Amino acid sequence: MSEGGAILLAATGLSKTFGGLKAVDDVSFALREGIVTALVGPNGAGKTTLFNLITGHLDPDAGDVTWLGKSIKGVPNWKIAQAGIGRTFQDLKLFDQMTVLENTLTVTERGAWLWQTGGKAAQAERLARSEHALDSVGLADRRNTRALDLAYAERKFLSVARILASGARLWLLDEPASGLDPGSYERFVDLVRGQLKHGITICIIEHNLDIVKGISDRIAFLDQGRLLAEGDPASILSDPALAAIYFGERA
Amino acid sequence: MWAYLNNLAVLITINAILAVTLNFVLGYAGIFSMAHAVFFGVGAYTATLVAMKLGAGFLLSTAAGMSVAAVISLALALPALRVRGEYFVAASLGLQMLAVTVFSEWKVVTGGIGGIGNIPPARFPGFEISSPLQYLLLCLACLSLVMLAIAVLVRSSFGRSLKAIRDDETAASAFGKNVAVIKTLAVAVSSALAAVAGSLYAFYLSFVNVESFTLDTSVYLMAMVIIGGTATLLGPLVGTILILLLPAALSYLPGLPQTEIGSIQQIIYGLAMVLLMIFRPGGLWGFRDQPKGGR
Repeated sequence: MSEGGAILLAATGLSKTFGGLKAVDDVSFALREGIVTALVGPNGAGKTTLFNLITGHLDPDAGDVTWLGKSIKGVPNWKIAQAGIGRTFQDLKLFDQMTVLENTLTVTERGAWLWQTGGKAAQAERLARSEHALDSVGLADRRNTRALDLAYAERKFLSVARILASGARLWLLDEPASGLDPGSYERFVDLVRGQLKHGITICIIEHNLDIVKGISDRIAFLDQGRLLAEGDPASILSDPALAAIYFGERA
Repeated sequence: MWAYLNNLAVLITINAILAVTLNFVLGYAGIFSMAHAVFFGVGAYTATLVAMKLGAGFLLSTAAGMSVAAVISLALALPALRVRGEYFVAASLGLQMLAVTVFSEWKVVTGGIGGIGNIPPARFPGFEISSPLQYLLLCLACLSLVMLAIAVLVRSSFGRSLKAIRDDETAASAFGKNVAVIKTLAVAVSSALAAVAGSLYAFYLSFVNVESFTLDTSVYLMAMVIIGGTATLLGPLVGTILILLLPAALSYLPGLPQTEIGSIQQIIYGLAMVLLMIFRPGGLWGFRDQPKGGR
């Protein structure tokens, strides 16, 4: 486990209120290069909202987000994605009617016009990247299957293949391992940890504390929209006060 | 009999162009436009005016129609496509109503309800279309080119982007796709290609008026696409043939009073739509063109 390198992304004083509910309340934290940071906390802690604020899917009421030192507050979400911040979704949001290969290929094609720039060489590179992503998650032999027709675990791995193919430098993974069988857990943890040596930085929302323990270098603990603690997995996971909050045993 | 069949084939071909171009946005991009007849009309009126006022041939008139249709579609798409789904349906419906009013009231340009007649025959450099069969061949050539263009586009990166947006707009933007620009371009391409049908229609009838470009036409076009099969290349063609052949087929059924054929046709369309949505929601051709499943 490592402390990580330079700060890639920093959130400062982020807040978001829905009606009377403070979903994210004055949260400041940083994601450091080359490590896996886990966001943990009970349901409704504001973890997914925090992802939505970082990726531009929601505008914060207050606070700022910087990426590589520059503010990305108010930047459209597609531009944030193009800048290198990728994400997955709890409900996967696969392109269901498209084939597995099309799912990974289309995320490599960022141009909005009728054609992509770069000619044949760039086209071949995009295809190779898509196929490599499918190879990495073990879906190469399902490349011509519609995403809708995949089994549950395969759909989960396709969502990871898609972010891998996208070339994102920071991965925000929203409960990517929920519902996976133990065999798939191990594959998943190996796959994610294996990306670190390729320069990928990862932030993961996960409820399974065994996975959190096995995968993360750092943990940020949220509850009711506030960041309660941040530190190495051993210290956070052994804190009885946090455990009580996590398991709903608060006084 | 031959003239009747030739006429039917020309009308099927022109409507097929409209159906396949509507399917480009409806089937591949998930954009429900209720204003496709507007771009049919814009193509028809523009080609007519360019041919009559400037003495232009078919190619220049059609190109002008395509350009004007694309520009007008931008006026609709740029504001409307920044929002999702049902807002575009409402905005396109508004454009359809507005356009019918303009077509029927802007008499100096469109001839009003009476329309514009005496449109010259379609001319090419050194050649003029002079027989119905030649016109049918021209229509078939245009349909082939339009279908080829759409086939190339849906298999390209642009087509994949459209399908990604159709399947999940939030995910598409989360992976760096500029959804508004991509959808706007799709509407512009679809509208420009629909204008080809307008030009063909105007030169064929030598007459255009507002009655061909009303909401009824937009609804029929949507029925053609849905009955044939959205997001398939041949589905809209199948839907067009079925819908245009139905009245002809009914008129040959013995025992049916000719005055009731219109009502019976409406009942059959309605029943067909309901049954299709229950038993073949992908349309008649819809199950044939899917990616292969299984390992």
